[in-house]
Amino acid sequence: MTDTITPGTTSLRFPVRTHTLGNGMRIVHHEERAAPIVAVHLMYHVGSRHERPGRTGLAHLLEHLMFEGSLHAPKGQFDDLLERVGGTNNGSTWFDRTNYYETVPSHAVELALWLERDRMGFFLPVLTSEMLEVQRGVVINERRQGYENRPYGLADQRLHEMMFGAGHPYSWPVIGYMPDLQAMSLEDARGFYQTYYTPGNAVLTFAGDLSADDAFALAERYFGDLPPGPRISPAPPPPDAVPAPAVGREVMADDVSFPRVYQGWATPPYGTREWVVMDVLAYLLADGDSSRLQRALVREGRLAQDVDTYLYPTAVCGTFGIVSTARTGVAPEALEAAIRRVLDEVARGVGDDEVLGAIRRVRRDQVGELATVEERADALSYAATVLGEPQALERVLEMYGEVTADDVARAAAQWLDAGRGATLVIVPSGNPPKDEDGDSGDEGEVEG
Amino acid sequence: MSDATMTPAVLPPPVLGPPPAPRVPRPERYALANGLRVVSVPRHGIPQVVLRLVFPAGSAADPREHRGAASLVGHLVTEGTAGMTAEALHARLDLLGAAVNPYVGHDFAEVETVLLSETLREGVGLLADIMMRPSFPEHEVERIRAESLDALVARADEPANVADDRMALEVFGADHPYGIPSFGTEEGIRTVPREALVAFHAEHYRPANAFLVAAGEFDPAELREALEESFAEWTGAAPPIVYPHAEPAPPRAGRLSLAPWDDATQSEIRIAGPGIPRRHPDWIRAGVANFLLGGSTITGRLGANLREDKGWTYGARSHFSAGMVHGGWVAETAVDVEVTAAAVGEMVNEMRRLMDEPVDEAELRRAKDALMLSLPRVFETPAGVASRMATIEAFGLPHDWWDRFPAEVEAVTADDVRAMARRHFDPDRLVRVVVGGGIEE
Repeated sequence: MTDTITPGTTSLRFPVRTHTLGNGMRIVHHEERAAPIVAVHLMYHVGSRHERPGRTGLAHLLEHLMFEGSLHAPKGQFDDLLERVGGTNNGSTWFDRTNYYETVPSHAVELALWLERDRMGFFLPVLTSEMLEVQRGVVINERRQGYENRPYGLADQRLHEMMFGAGHPYSWPVIGYMPDLQAMSLEDARGFYQTYYTPGNAVLTFAGDLSADDAFALAERYFGDLPPGPRISPAPPPPDAVPAPAVGREVMADDVSFPRVYQGWATPPYGTREWVVMDVLAYLLADGDSSRLQRALVREGRLAQDVDTYLYPTAVCGTFGIVSTARTGVAPEALEAAIRRVLDEVARGVGDDEVLGAIRRVRRDQVGELATVEERADALSYAATVLGEPQALERVLEMYGEVTADDVARAAAQWLDAGRGATLVIVPSGNPPKDEDGDSGDEGEVEG
Repeated sequence: MSDATMTPAVLPPPVLGPPPAPRVPRPERYALANGLRVVSVPRHGIPQVVLRLVFPAGSAADPREHRGAASLVGHLVTEGTAGMTAEALHARLDLLGAAVNPYVGHDFAEVETVLLSETLREGVGLLADIMMRPSFPEHEVERIRAESLDALVARADEPANVADDRMALEVFGADHPYGIPSFGTEEGIRTVPREALVAFHAEHYRPANAFLVAAGEFDPAELREALEESFAEWTGAAPPIVYPHAEPAPPRAGRLSLAPWDDATQSEIRIAGPGIPRRHPDWIRAGVANFLLGGSTITGRLGANLREDKGWTYGARSHFSAGMVHGGWVAETAVDVEVTAAAVGEMVNEMRRLMDEPVDEAELRRAKDALMLSLPRVFETPAGVASRMATIEAFGLPHDWWDRFPAEVEAVTADDVRAMARRHFDPDRLVRVVVGGGIEE
């Protein structure tokens, strides 16, 4: 079946201008006048990857601490000041980077900058053990809610340990291990901050309703006089950048009703053509009801309730995953066998239309995600941080239109080989199923 | 920062100018000959089109004996049409890069279609085929039925879901459409025959009560032409859904409904009541009061207490749900199981405080500014525009609702807030649901 719609006609362009301050901080500007708002995005080139075993979770804990106030904007004021002008703010920690961002109506850009300046220049004076204790409690809670107290909650953590082996910076979870969180000291937090939270290690991106000249002038005013801080020697890359798994297959029991299969492979890193090919492959395999895994496992195969693929844009190497939940009465081995069959078929060859559809679906999602200035600022900052410059984002997006059926088949053969994957199977531990109707409840009055 | 002698200058906090005016989109509104209302909001810049086709065909329209029909129908319409098998249909949609996503809630069944702008014409044609001529193949019906039953079981693994379901049952009761989840009951899903699904679609998926919102990058004349052509043969009106209009009176108001959970490290807490209908004249007043209590997970009174002050939770919030009738209100959080009783106590205290003490002007000012000034952001994307315009159509709100929003928020007083708190956040009139432990009944 031929198609008159040609690939890549939907192009995504994000023109940018850049500027560097005297202290090494890089400034990125992208203009977008559609809505009277501006996204202000500060990204530090530090993440869980820069931690060490025994002190995992430090980057994320520090991110929490960074929301507890600074010398001239004490605790509570940050959110308060931004909220009252109709702004939002958040932050996140990931493997390769930590970000702090605000989206504000265009009259309030300076407020966002003033708050970030205070955090960058005046945070240490307010970092106390009391603050550390409260946030330690919050993060431990977050870990319990997302990991220990959640069905399949420990799967991702174990899969990464299996994929990367002890000592590899991607082997531990971003949130850190519980013993490490409990052991973290004030000195750990101070040291990490002083090492990594420096202007030279940061990218500040403006996306939205303001001019480049205004953006650069504001950046100079609010960050130009901050001292550069110590030079950071880049962490040595792990010896094998795209490693084979440390543990090939494992079964883990959990308090769940259905078995679920998690599979992970290391791939070339974000920014490479190979990574883009893997992204198209991820969509070809499982995005859309006509995709191979949806048909083989869910719709026709009737083996699984769901199947999903993902590809992390991680910097040392990419992380490709397949996750699938079995239907009632189906053994996880059947899912593994069906997935393996599909991967082997794809490695032998795929159709041109199949690849064209996958590219269009990726494009559809990219258009949707990058519709907001907040997401654009994030994507541009990330390209600047891990790929060296914000213009790399557009280059990466352009690569999608060039992916061929041969590329996809070859990549599947090379990177999703059986020996290169880690498989973790979560099985029900045999606890009786929860009684979800009213019978198990004890009802009555609360005292007082 | 390693050189302690080089302290940077202290800059004064900036003085801001006036906020920009929100740019509320100006849609074109028209109706097709068959009565389908169309809200068209074109804008150049992001090469996608978001179409939201909405029917009053949510679970409130389920026949008593088939509670699950609405949800199953919503998920089955994309599983083959009179002219195309499910495989052929999906292959075509996937090749276009088109996403067709059904959502079935209590009041409405919606189909959201996201298209790359260059594929609009064919996308509209496929959407019309799906809506007008679904074939409900037997094997797809059975597959979706089995998947839904499995999803129901998996859902019960999560304490948060169990808390939500229990809360709805306590507030609305099993006979009210909002008292059970929109996907129906286990028995309803398991037993509804294919014929009933076909009949449900034929009865409820009609143009005269439905509407379509289109937002994104498209030529409005081309869209209209495509709609007129593709939906030409579609006719008829669905029967109106009969809702209970009396305000629900939860029998366990003021009391605790506890579901123990083995080995729980956390408890899910819900304190809930009937709320108000979306169309109620108090919606904005109540929204301001809610924002103060828990509209923001960190700065609302609940979050400030439980998270920022006590460190007991990752977040605590509250919200009113939109519904054709009383849609429900809930304050919710998850806390360490050891502090469950204390956390419920603190939540109740915060609610009483809002009832008893007038909110000070500074706090009220902050809440109003936060709500009003967030408006510029909500119309940034086609999906955001489509969502806001759909709300107006769905609940029959005035067309200038978003234009009037800032002034209506501004008009809310401290007395209004206290009145709303007494009406909707009174712990003696709300049910407390806990899934976990650490609390005595």
